[in-house]
Amino acid sequence: MNVTIKKVNDITVIEAEGNIDSRTAGEFEKKAVEATTDEDKIIIDLSKVEFLSSAGLRALLILYRQVKARNGKIVLVGVSEEIQDVMENTGFINFFILADQIDDGVKAIG
Amino acid sequence: MESKIFPGTVESIDLIRQYIKEISAHAGLDKKATYNLMLAADEIATNIMLYGYEKAGLTGDLKVLHTITEEELVVIFEDQALPFDPLARELPDEEDLSKPLEERSIGGLGIFLTVSGIDDFSYEYVNNQNRNIFKMKLQKPD
Repeated sequence: MNVTIKKVNDITVIEAEGNIDSRTAGEFEKKAVEATTDEDKIIIDLSKVEFLSSAGLRALLILYRQVKARNGKIVLVGVSEEIQDVMENTGFINFFILADQIDDGVKAIG
Repeated sequence: MESKIFPGTVESIDLIRQYIKEISAHAGLDKKATYNLMLAADEIATNIMLYGYEKAGLTGDLKVLHTITEEELVVIFEDQALPFDPLARELPDEEDLSKPLEERSIGGLGIFLTVSGIDDFSYEYVNNQNRNIFKMKLQKPD
């Protein structure tokens, strides 16, 4: 599991690669929270994430709460069909903006 | 039934998930059913390794048994960790799941995903062993 942070204009892009499960969700959450402490425009690129368990959902939940508290927005990019199903079943999907590609995400949040 | 034994440590969770993927391919499960079974296996294995063994200071293993019939794929986890019935706890209901994320309680999602993604999930404690049973229906070829 790798987490890469970059900036596109004034947007913080968090790119995750690998599986976000009980062993890796803590690291993902820590890096994502650190990178977004004062940011209100955030893209999380999940196009290289094959598997996301409930531990990954919890990490997204915590990140969402922190960003929402300062009226920020989170766009999720490249979410696989299977992960979208999981987010729908758990009622997570409505709280995030979804986009296919980074460019679409930038437009959606801009 | 075929079986494979994994050490009762968190390091085994990735390997169990991969093994479940292989079994699913062998049984001919589609992509979505395969993902749901991998997810359920991950959630239950995580509970067993983390709480049943490691935090309880116990050691042991997790045996993954499976059989494929014409109608279904049956996967059974057997372990000697602390007795734990995943179904004993109240699951989040529709009301909980429609709450804004700001008001959500943080637990219970793993078991919810297990129960909702598996056609028939059950648990029993037999001969000092936890048995978590996952059944997935197989689509008959036309």
